[in-house]
Parts: sequence; structure tokens; C-alpha cells
Amino acid sequence: MTGRLQEFNEQSARLAAQVHRSLVRVESGRWGAGAGTIWHSDGLILTNSHVARSRQLRISLPDGRQASARLLARSRDLDLAALTVELSDLPTIELGDSEKLQSGNWVMAFGHPWGVEGAATAGIVIGQGAQMQGRPAFGHNWLAVGLHYRPGHSGGPLVDSAGRLVGINTLMVGPDVGLAVPVHEVKRFLKDSLQRATV
Amino acid sequence: MTNVVEGFSTELAEIVKSAGPAVVRVEGRRRLPASGIVWSEGGIVVTAHHVVERDEGLSVGLGEDQKADAELVGRDPTTDLAVLRVEGIELSPAASAGLDDLSVGHLVLALGRPGRTVQATLGITSALGTSWRTAAGGSIDRYLQTDVVMYPGFSGGPLVDAKGKVLGLNTSALRGVSLTIPSLTVDRVVESILSHGRVQRGYLGVGVQPVNLPEALAEELGQETGLILISVEPDTPAEAGGLTLGDTLLSVHGEPVRRLDDLLSMLSADLVGEEVIVRILRGGDVREQKVTVGERQ
Repeated sequence: MTGRLQEFNEQSARLAAQVHRSLVRVESGRWGAGAGTIWHSDGLILTNSHVARSRQLRISLPDGRQASARLLARSRDLDLAALTVELSDLPTIELGDSEKLQSGNWVMAFGHPWGVEGAATAGIVIGQGAQMQGRPAFGHNWLAVGLHYRPGHSGGPLVDSAGRLVGINTLMVGPDVGLAVPVHEVKRFLKDSLQRATV
Repeated sequence: MTNVVEGFSTELAEIVKSAGPAVVRVEGRRRLPASGIVWSEGGIVVTAHHVVERDEGLSVGLGEDQKADAELVGRDPTTDLAVLRVEGIELSPAASAGLDDLSVGHLVLALGRPGRTVQATLGITSALGTSWRTAAGGSIDRYLQTDVVMYPGFSGGPLVDAKGKVLGLNTSALRGVSLTIPSLTVDRVVESILSHGRVQRGYLGVGVQPVNLPEALAEELGQETGLILISVEPDTPAEAGGLTLGDTLLSVHGEPVRRLDDLLSMLSADLVGEEVIVRILRGGDVREQKVTVGERQ
């Protein structure tokens, strides 16, 4: 019995180490800092709209690299922002299927809560959909998770039990309820807004 | 990487999926709906008393479009339970389990359905004790406290174990912590409400206060205290049975009564209407009176 728990513990830590490589810090001038998630190895980074408030955005990678970032697109409704940096070969997280995520599934979130770099928190999916208490209503799906989201988690990755990206940490609505934008909504946001950006 | 964490995650989701159909949405208050558990055949749903704020216009919902009116069969505020009967939608009762195999530290899930879909939170068993009595006098078979977070609308939903079995009904109203009314207690209360429309409680019609017994008597009975009658209401079983102010109760139906709690636990539903022997101390003498237990309204 203890063997299983220990195995679980070790795998959880390995999974965290893997995801950690794709977690960045987004500094937004006088607005302070939040987290960001590497979406594409060629320098596409996702974060929350409320994190990327300043025109002067700076990204720090866990490997020590730093770069200034340019805002590509943002959606205040979805609280998402897409940034680009002049860096390549960035480590990405495999995308998961957030629509298949079920109530009860194990998830982990990463960010810099209260400035603690690369902290992890874990819990389960409470539910998904349009029936979330305290959720700003705008017709999109939220992913409600039983995690300790704190200031600084915003923009960081939410991953499933296999370490696949399933959401972007966005806000807390209760002592232990966090809301994340599910990956399928992020994809839609990128498709809609990046097409518009290149036209 | 296909692994223990993934297996764990899948199993948790499977538990939610298997227990989910027995978790219903209960609409009985103005604010957010709460949750309920399909308890037995015939559309019997049990929920928390404090979330059913009205007696009529209640409804129970399951999925996207399954919703039906519910009739309030009865409620027991002392254990914070209410029983509803639902017709018109297919409901499959939950599989429940006792607490014999549960220990402190075991994983548990709290399920709820304040919206359309079932929601879940995970935690561990924090404390497990023996029987206790709520502030309102309800008798609960085991004390079960968990660290699951009770989100709004989770009251009335089930606590399930790692096998997906329902351990009891969650309520946030009794002590301000996440407490679960064990299935055994729910069974008892549901049975009583279904047969009597309420939970019967015995009634004597006296006000009591614990007092020390004279030393010699205390030694003889092996009982330090008794309950002195500080009031005897008119037209009550106590008055009819010849009890008067100043009598000290020593035992009821063969069971010593040292504290108020002893008397309260004595006066259970099965004694209602029964003639019991009440041993009292009056003027220095021990005597026996016959009292027919009434029912508390």
C-alpha cells in the first residue's frame, strides 16, 4: 500500500518537473508579474489578459533566458492574451483534450503564487461548463478545479494526470475553487484572433 | 509516463461517473439549488433539511432536461435530513455502505449537483468517532468529519468512498465543518419519515436538572447523580404517571439516568406509547411509578 503511494508521489514530482520547464514568468511593468505558458516552441506564449496589462512585457524562462515580449492578441472576455518572444526551441507541453476532462479527474496547476517561483498545487476537477458559481458569465466554458489558486498563478498551465495541458489558470472564485480557461477555448481564441491579426 | 497518477485520476473520474446518477439537484430555496441522494426505490430522495426552505413547489433534477416535481414526505431538523418523493423521472438508488471499513486518512469524495452536471471534491477522512447528538437533539450513529471543501450547493449530496459507495449525506449546517450523516442514520431517519411522516421522539413533559444523590444511595446504585424534576407540565405523561415536582429520576425503563443526555437517548421512537417503569427518589425513599411515554409534537 505504501509502495503505491510512494510511486504516486514520485511520478507526481516527475510530472511537475516536466511541466515546470514550460512555465514562464510574465513581468508587466508597474502591474507586477504573473505566469505564462509556452504554447509553441517558436516563441508563442499564452497568459491571462489581466496579467499582460502593460506595453512593456518581459518574459523569464525557468532556464534563465529572458526576453521582451510583444502582444499578439487579447480577449478580455476570455481573459486570455497571446504573446510572442524572439526565442526558439522553447519546451512545450503536450496538449490534452479538455473536453474529455471529467469531474473527479486529477489536475495540477503551476505558477508563482505570492512570488514563489514555480509552485505546484494539485486537486481534482470539480466540474466543467456554464453552471459555475461566481463565474463571470460570457457564454464560454470554464473549468472549475478544487485547487488553491493564489495571485501569481494566473496565466500558468493546468495539466492533467499525464502532464498534458488542459487549461490556463485564470481566477479564484472561492477559498478552494479555481477557474481555468480550458484548452479547447484557448485553441478557439488563437484561431479566431491570430487569423485576424495576419489579415 | 502511463502511470499511477493517470490511473488514479481515471479511477476517481470513474467513481464520480458511477455514483453520479444517484446525485440529484434539489430546488427548494430561493438561492442556488442544493443536492440530494436517490436513496431507495420508488423515487425516494434524501437531502439536507436546511436546504429545503419551503414545503411546496419543490423539484428534483438529474441531467440536462430531466426534472420533476417533488413531494416533501417529511423532515427531521434534529438530524438535518429531509425526505422527498419524486415521480416521473427514472431514478436509480445509490449503493450505500457502512463505516466499518473506513479509517482516518482514507480518501473520500463529496459529490453535488447544484447545476446540471455532477461536481466533485476530494479529501480525506479527518475524524471518525462514536455516536453523538446534534445541538437540536438528533442522534447520529457515528461522528464523521472530512476535509472535503463543501462548495455552495453541495449540502445534501453524498460522501463516497474509494469504491464509489455512499458513506452518508454531507451537510455544512450542523457544526460549520464538513460533516457527514452516516448512511446508517440516514436509513433510520428515512424509514421513520416514510412510516410516520416524521421522526418520532418520546415525551414525558418534565424539566430536569442533574443532582448529586445521597452518598449511601449513590453507593448502592453505583450512580452518583440523578435528574431532579424542576417542572412537570400539566396534562402530560409525567403528570398522568404521578411524577411531581422535586422527584429525582434514578432510572427509566431499567436504564440509569445520570445526565440529561441519558434521558434524551432513552426517549426514542420505540418507547412511544409504551408503559415504562420510572424509578424515583421521593422524600428519601426509592419508589417506582408507571409512566406511558407520549410523543413529542
